[in-house]
Amino acid sequence: MNAIHRRSLLAASLGTAALPFGPAGAQTTAMTAAVYPGGWDEALAAVLAPRLRQQSNIAVSFDPLFAVDQIAKARAARGTPPFDVFVLDPGPRVSGIDFGLFEPFDATRLPSRGVLPDGYSDAHGAAVAAQVVGIAYNPTKVAKPAGWRDLFRPEYASRLGLTGFGTTFGTISLIEMAKSLGGSEANMDPLFAELRRIRPSVAAVAQPAAMAGLFQQGQIDVMYTNTYTVTLLRSRGVPIAFAVPETGAAAFVTTMHIAKGSRNAASAYTYIDTMISTPVQTTLAAAPYFFVPVNKEVTPGEDVPMRSIAEISNFVSHDWAVINPLRAGWIQRFNREMAG
Amino acid sequence: MQENGVWRLALPLALAQALFFLAPLMLLVGTSFATDENLTQASLRAWRDMLGDSFNIMSLLNTLRLGALAVVATTLLAVPLALLHMAAGPRLKRIILLAAILPLLTSVVVRTFSWIVILGREGVINSALIWSGLATSPVALLQTEPGLILALTQIEMPLMLLPLIAATARIDPALLDASVSLGGSLLRTLRRVVLPLALPGLVAGATLVFASAATAFISQSVIGGGRLNYLPAQVWQQAMVVFDWPVAAAMALTLMGSVLMVAGALSLLGRGARHA
Repeated sequence: MNAIHRRSLLAASLGTAALPFGPAGAQTTAMTAAVYPGGWDEALAAVLAPRLRQQSNIAVSFDPLFAVDQIAKARAARGTPPFDVFVLDPGPRVSGIDFGLFEPFDATRLPSRGVLPDGYSDAHGAAVAAQVVGIAYNPTKVAKPAGWRDLFRPEYASRLGLTGFGTTFGTISLIEMAKSLGGSEANMDPLFAELRRIRPSVAAVAQPAAMAGLFQQGQIDVMYTNTYTVTLLRSRGVPIAFAVPETGAAAFVTTMHIAKGSRNAASAYTYIDTMISTPVQTTLAAAPYFFVPVNKEVTPGEDVPMRSIAEISNFVSHDWAVINPLRAGWIQRFNREMAG
Repeated sequence: MQENGVWRLALPLALAQALFFLAPLMLLVGTSFATDENLTQASLRAWRDMLGDSFNIMSLLNTLRLGALAVVATTLLAVPLALLHMAAGPRLKRIILLAAILPLLTSVVVRTFSWIVILGREGVINSALIWSGLATSPVALLQTEPGLILALTQIEMPLMLLPLIAATARIDPALLDASVSLGGSLLRTLRRVVLPLALPGLVAGATLVFASAATAFISQSVIGGGRLNYLPAQVWQQAMVVFDWPVAAAMALTLMGSVLMVAGALSLLGRGARHA
């Protein structure tokens, strides 16, 4: 992973060195974009940044931060945005809206907006990738689980890696489990009762970022995650497969937003527009990046259980305006129920 | 240089400390007594949430106990090494010192992730246990307190060993000969001569190991996992996920105060023992 990153850094610096011989005249504009560490950072640095440089003469530097860290950093900066563009999942997106961290978004400033399905851009930002969440399992160790309920059976529970309500994929997976146990988006009691019961036998309870490593090391053989992680791990030789739960996989979109007070708004719009454009989305959907495209003209990869972004409406979705106010309480309760 | 002007040498560091440590610390104290991070209104809510909640108090006690156990484990392993270092020739002395420093040359993140590979269900220890027939199924090591203490013992060992060796290396070998020739047994020499002279190093090492192990956020969350609760992870969660900065500030200050109190007690112990 690091090697790829270093290579892309090298490519980027070579690009910079080669600039005097490139298109002359226009002044290069600099901007900063937050990006998720790891796969996103590598992909956007290798695909989006060179294209942006070449076509629009914009030099983007990336600030690798998880969604919650972007919100925390932007709040701590108190009005002076540390970067021009956020990239967020639905939970932190609603927090960002609540805290007033985004500039009002004008989708008409995205020339490529026609490639997005209806409703994929709004007054706050635009969708740039989708995520499909379900169950990942090691096919050499356990049988394919049928649904969320199976995770509580002893043969799966003893191999299961649990992660709490700290992330979007963790939260919606736990909500889906609660629903399969008779609870709902607002009633987690049946879930917590079952978690308490399986707690001693569960293989790991860990931070979301640790899950892939634990799976790779064979500490866990079942986890909830997105198709992106499954494809990425399998491309690195890990025996892993994605199971669509019988109640359906859950889907959500990752969105980009322009930071309030950004002095590079024009570049930021170009950055987002280039991100959703067909060439970039096509490259990002293929190996080794495996993004789920939001662009209607791009076909998702083989692990993604949909042939076009239009099918996303068939997937389970969640109302983050309902979830977010309850989430702090769930996080605390998860800590307590899982303790010692 | 005039004697009374010497304090000026400390000025750059003192200024930096005031600016980058003391001022943020004051802000932290302010935040803990406010309703939100903009300090809109004074409130004791955060402190009530921290100190009035048995779960948080348990997390604090777990954290302090983890620090104490790491001190005990590193002491038990470091003292024999320090004695060996005392008795060793210059060549072996260098090897021991190099071995003590070596872990410091790898990043704590790398050291922590290596322990996943060692302690995991299919890790080095479990593979060896099953291969040798000592166990039939994998033993739970990762995400248990003993596993975490084992890892912290290795990670924090240099912090104990280096001050200890620094203290024992200064002990005059003639003192040991004198004790033995006056009829002192080896154990009595260790207890009455070596230990009192090595005590300042031991206290310094214990303080460093305690403070470092109790606040080892990465090791605690990666090796300890979600079923063990320690205060540093709670601080991170409150600040970064729940966005409750006042509670995060109160927790951070509680942790800092507790670690400082233990460090103070250790230093008193060291001073008291020297005068006894």
